Amino acid sequence: MKIRVAAVGDVHLGEDIRGRYRRTLDGIEERADVLLIAGDLTRHGTPEEGRIVAEEFRDLPVPVVTVLGNHDYQSDAEEEVADLLREAGIQVLQDDSTIVECGPDGVRLGLVGGKGFGGGFAGKCASEFGEPEMKAFVRHTREIADLWQKALKGLDADYRVVLSHYSPVKDTLAGEPLEIYPFLGSYLLAEAVDSEGADLFIHGHAHAGEEKGVTPGGIRVRNVALPVLGRAYAVYCLGGEDPESC
Amino acid sequence: MSDARHHEAPHPDAPHYVAARVQRALAEDDRTHELGIRVDIRGDQLYLRGKVEGGERRRQVAAVAGETAPGLTVHNEVTVVEVREPGEEETL
Repeated sequence: MKIRVAAVGDVHLGEDIRGRYRRTLDGIEERADVLLIAGDLTRHGTPEEGRIVAEEFRDLPVPVVTVLGNHDYQSDAEEEVADLLREAGIQVLQDDSTIVECGPDGVRLGLVGGKGFGGGFAGKCASEFGEPEMKAFVRHTREIADLWQKALKGLDADYRVVLSHYSPVKDTLAGEPLEIYPFLGSYLLAEAVDSEGADLFIHGHAHAGEEKGVTPGGIRVRNVALPVLGRAYAVYCLGGEDPESC
Repeated sequence: MSDARHHEAPHPDAPHYVAARVQRALAEDDRTHELGIRVDIRGDQLYLRGKVEGGERRRQVAAVAGETAPGLTVHNEVTVVEVREPGEEETL
């Protein structure tokens, strides 16, 4: 029982490139069973851009599940953007879970995730200490991690994938300036997912990073930001022991 | 002579601060909102590097940088993200 997961992030759609990405999705059903989008769908996070994203990804022959990214929050219209996507049949994870039945075998793919947030990585990170602004910054990430852990605990599926905008590990940030790592992700996301287990962790956000990494607990991490991939989307085959079988 | 150095006017236009100002403008200006553009200044030359999704965005990045750092010559080395065919899948 296997499933082919297509994934991309940071498409940053807008009026100037309307329709361009859609063309790259032709034939996706021959390559993948589901498409996951790792946030930063827009540039400015406006409802107008949300409509462009909805048009770009609606009525695809495979299910589409997304999270939002920091750009999608820029205009304080993230809920409206999410609603526009849902109206177009695109599932939007916001620190919750869903199960998608995929492919001819009806494989149950369990998905958990949301935007995620930053804070840094073990030993070199911010703490809930000091000024209220600093406490709020770190608390936001901790609360997200707690929600993902709870969502994973109750998720009964053939495969479990975590979808995020921010990174859980440093591996996939290599190439980014070290000084901005705390704004690119948090180890709290990895710790939460490692505690419950998953088959794959997908994220974006780090445009200058690397595609491949692994959590301390051994879960494969993939940074699918479009500038990192340099291709329309990546496809990861879960459960395909034989590389030829996918 | 050494005392005089302490009384020199501060340098708000030191290249270090100008580059930071340009980088901040690229992130915060409504025309760009680009967070991943590297800005380097050498003398009166300003270099922009990074990737954006389209040609118009590439032009806007240079326009915002030029407005924020008047008097500097902008070298727009930003490239447009190439989107190739999906390619081979990876088995995990």
